[in-house]
Amino acid sequence: MTFAIETEGLSRSFGKLTAVERLDLAIPSGSVFGFLGPNGAGKTTTVRMLTALIKPSSGSARVLGHSLGSDDQQIRRSVGMLTETPGLYDKLSALQNLVFFGRLYDLSRAEAEKQAEHYLRLFDLWERRNDPVGRFSKGMRQKLAIVRALLHEPKLVFLDEPTVGLDPEVARTVRDTIKQLRSQGRTIFLTTHNLPEADELCDLIAIFRGKLLHLDTPDRLRARLANQATLVRVVGDPRAWQATVQALPFVRDLRLSEDALEISLADPERNNPALIAALVGAGAQIRYVEPRTTTLEEVYLKLIGEA
Amino acid sequence: MQKISVVIWKEWLELLKQRMLLLSVLILPITLSVIPLISLFGIALAPGTGEPDELTLRMLETDPTLIGLSEQAATQVIIGRSLSTLMLLLPMLIPSILAAYSIVGEKNNRTLEPILATPITIWELLLGKIFATLIPSVLLTWFASMIFSVGVAQSAVDPIVFSLVVSPSWVLLLLLCAPLLSLIAISLMVMISSRTSDPRTAQQYSGVLVVPFLALFVSQMFGILSFNPVTTLIATVIIAAFAALALWGAVMIFQRDSILTRWN
Repeated sequence: MTFAIETEGLSRSFGKLTAVERLDLAIPSGSVFGFLGPNGAGKTTTVRMLTALIKPSSGSARVLGHSLGSDDQQIRRSVGMLTETPGLYDKLSALQNLVFFGRLYDLSRAEAEKQAEHYLRLFDLWERRNDPVGRFSKGMRQKLAIVRALLHEPKLVFLDEPTVGLDPEVARTVRDTIKQLRSQGRTIFLTTHNLPEADELCDLIAIFRGKLLHLDTPDRLRARLANQATLVRVVGDPRAWQATVQALPFVRDLRLSEDALEISLADPERNNPALIAALVGAGAQIRYVEPRTTTLEEVYLKLIGEA
Repeated sequence: MQKISVVIWKEWLELLKQRMLLLSVLILPITLSVIPLISLFGIALAPGTGEPDELTLRMLETDPTLIGLSEQAATQVIIGRSLSTLMLLLPMLIPSILAAYSIVGEKNNRTLEPILATPITIWELLLGKIFATLIPSVLLTWFASMIFSVGVAQSAVDPIVFSLVVSPSWVLLLLLCAPLLSLIAISLMVMISSRTSDPRTAQQYSGVLVVPFLALFVSQMFGILSFNPVTTLIATVIIAAFAALALWGAVMIFQRDSILTRWN
């Protein structure tokens, strides 16, 4: 397995404040990596170090095989970056903005224009290519900033909150683009607060708060909370079946809501048939039985809370 | 070199789209070349009293080049020489306006980080910004000086007035020092940009540049300092040293890490 990013003890301090403490990461090439953490956790500092914008105080990193510190120009040439704010020239047109940045990424004028056309069409901005960016809506500016990050076809793309300010349809286009980039073998480093989005897109998720708290796949992170439960929706008052459920030996915990019993089980797949049989045997009329899954948001909040 | 020209292209494109900024840049050379000419034409058209005033008499004592001139011609030379130094204000004032918007404006729009994320070197970016500001500043200074020179030739009551005002030393001073003064102003703006987020505040700070100029203006006015080829070359060397120092200061501040972590 090759890694797009490998860091070892990567740290950055600002005076007495340690923003990033001994970060060890290995992000496989061609994956979508979610970097989650609260505001002020040091995510931007980490991204800035990995894009060779700021120097680490200590530690080392290799980005696409290039060493941070000695191959910084190579790193900048090979990665694309969507910054926290779009950072576009309001007086210039969308096309002029893209041609300018494209040329800074060593594209010829013709190449930059060709690439700009391809991505502006993909993001439905081609008709507005000659309009000053100052007239663009927040969502259009965000789309243009994404186009800028992809213009030179980087192998590694850093995206900071890519769907912020976008309407659901465009946000879907962005997510589809991220999936398409992954299918092309590119690596995406995604910083986001949108946890369902991270859950949908990411192969690997890091939960970060100054230091790495957890690093795993979304499924394994959920399994850490392992509160496996079955939700049984019944006709009538669910309290009528409380005693029946509590009498079963494999039930770990029971919570009641207005029309449902949330039953924590040792092994739902094995225990569910017996549970349902017991309830039906006791006269319960069951409307639905569904697994109670743990969301990434619950996992995130729990792990950040513990930290 | 290609990236430097790309930065210059972008800077000029932005400048052309900011009409107010463009106007404020163009109005300076027009004003500073036309106002002195109004004075010189006024002197030429005003009838002489035949008796030189006290100031002219004092100037005649300190400046032997004025001996033998008529009262009007001597006055034109004294006023013309003093006002000719105004041209040296242009290579300091124009860059302070342009560079304020070029660097502080970039900081305000948060466009610096996306640029710094590209494989442009800090030198390419800095030189692109310097040239984008320096070239129009110097060209406008020289253009205004040409208008001034033509005006002096037209208003001179005596042909010697032109040769004494538009002297080889003054021309040399403009040719050599205008780019250096622009470089000092731009470098200073880079340093100021690290401390302020408002282009107008940055321009106000740059007002400090006018102080040495005022000293020069007053020295010329009272005949304390007159430029000849030797003093011009000495002044050029001193200004070049200041320009090198200012550029070094700007380069020290204009680093990726500092811009993103230390600039306010």
